[in-house]
Amino acid sequence: MNKRFIILFLGLFLISSVYALGVSPGRTTIDFKPSLERSVNFEIINSEGKDLEFGLSIDGELAEYVNLGNRKISVSAGEDKKTFSYDLKLPASLEPGLRTARIIITEIPKDLGSSESYVAATLAVATQLHVNVPFPGKYASSGFIVYNTEQGEDITFVFPVVAKGEFDLTSVHANIDIYNKANEKVASFNTKSISIKSSDKKELVHKWNGNLSIGEYRADATLIYDDGTLNLERIFSVGSKELELQEITVNDFNLGEIVKLEMLVENKWSEPIMDAYVETRILDEGEDVVASFKSSSYDVEALEKEVFVSYWDTAGVKEGTYASDVAIHYGEKVSRKNLEFEVMDNELVVIGLGYVISVDGGDGESSIVVVLVIVIVVLVLINLLWFLIIRKKIENFKGGKK
Amino acid sequence: MKKKIELKYKIDMVMILVSVFVLMGIVGFSQPLVIAPLDELETFDTEVLFTIEKGEKLLIDDNLDFTTPDEYEVEDGLKINLKPGKYYWKVVGMISSEVRTLTINSKVSLEFVEGETDFDVVNAGNIKLNVDIYNGTEKVGEKKLSPGEEVVGDGTKFIGEQNDD
Repeated sequence: MNKRFIILFLGLFLISSVYALGVSPGRTTIDFKPSLERSVNFEIINSEGKDLEFGLSIDGELAEYVNLGNRKISVSAGEDKKTFSYDLKLPASLEPGLRTARIIITEIPKDLGSSESYVAATLAVATQLHVNVPFPGKYASSGFIVYNTEQGEDITFVFPVVAKGEFDLTSVHANIDIYNKANEKVASFNTKSISIKSSDKKELVHKWNGNLSIGEYRADATLIYDDGTLNLERIFSVGSKELELQEITVNDFNLGEIVKLEMLVENKWSEPIMDAYVETRILDEGEDVVASFKSSSYDVEALEKEVFVSYWDTAGVKEGTYASDVAIHYGEKVSRKNLEFEVMDNELVVIGLGYVISVDGGDGESSIVVVLVIVIVVLVLINLLWFLIIRKKIENFKGGKK
Repeated sequence: MKKKIELKYKIDMVMILVSVFVLMGIVGFSQPLVIAPLDELETFDTEVLFTIEKGEKLLIDDNLDFTTPDEYEVEDGLKINLKPGKYYWKVVGMISSEVRTLTINSKVSLEFVEGETDFDVVNAGNIKLNVDIYNGTEKVGEKKLSPGEEVVGDGTKFIGEQNDD
């Protein structure tokens, strides 16, 4: 710990910032409009708190449409950031697609301090200008996201669609085909339809529960919009590649002898998992390792259970309750369970497996909801009672008196 | 007679006012109390601290429809790392909170740091950068740097710009 601290302390002296340069935003994105004129702001960040001078330059295909104004600018020591701007004057037409330029801010070194911290190099940062020029007619671009899920849960398919054409998209929907690993089509369905205004981005979201069995699948989607289609593909999985410790059985336990532990492990994945083993560490009250032992390596068939056998030499172990860390190693993954081993003269009880710990907390909130609903119902009843019954009765009573 | 009519309407008014106040109290009691961050906050800091009371889940999305929100269980000192961009967020509990916006501004920043033998160029911003390395006027290299990552300062000019990979 002390050694680490000394290295960190020395590091702070050995590595020191000489100077820095920053600009925000990193990019300004504009939708093209014929002959658009506008001013675009950017901030230079003076994190060093020094008097600084900068040179501005521009490159890229939009350079001819940008006027930087004064190409030499400065920031004083008291300003942690300063806003500048450039003027953009777009032509009547540009080639469809993404058109770009970058405005480069280069520090002009003045006084870099002591000779030890002098750097014979220059830093420059760029703020990008992106102009999206619409395609003729109707045009869509889209990504495709499928979220991995557990068995029995809904699978969410997301298409972030951007209308990159001149005109609005009135109908965008998708047809999705699901294939298993054997390339057999297991399902096919359509999403709802949405509309997207020109230059806007919208997410087409579809939730589907096909009760797929655990495994890996491919989603082939055809995004269909007014004037065209897009083919998209994603791999997703139902369930996770996981081994789970189900049970530990110990027969004929005698403290001081070598004990055989039979650990039942379940493969929850749709493919076999090879070369898995269990490592068990028994800990005392101070979290020090009292004993550590490993099982042999086993292959567990898809969705099957396998008994992993471990041996624990209990010579010198005293009666009592020990914390334990049982870790199943497979591939690069480790599945852990923290258990308690209650060691007696002729019995070993494993605590922590097969129990479901109920989660409290929901009850409190639901009782508050019940109270609030009762209050609202009482309030409504009082109002109804007054406006529909008591009030009328009073009026009738007064009418009778007259 | 006029006095009696006025009394009847007075009771009506009391009923309505009491109902409105009770409903306001219920809404106020049930609605999540969203303390921080403030609405329309703009920051360069990608780690955002959320301070919320009486809420169950925090939902964050890049669209106002919350079509595919990221969900977080509300807890004390909830800090979330977000990439630069504009976000909409709300808290759901018994009823939903207002929707707030949060903008993490992108910052392109390069920093020279002094090592034992040479100088390194560090990405001191909050986005991935593409760094062009020049020797004089000739471009001699290109390097992609994640925030905090560094490259040995083997050149005379370094230009950093936002990278999309």
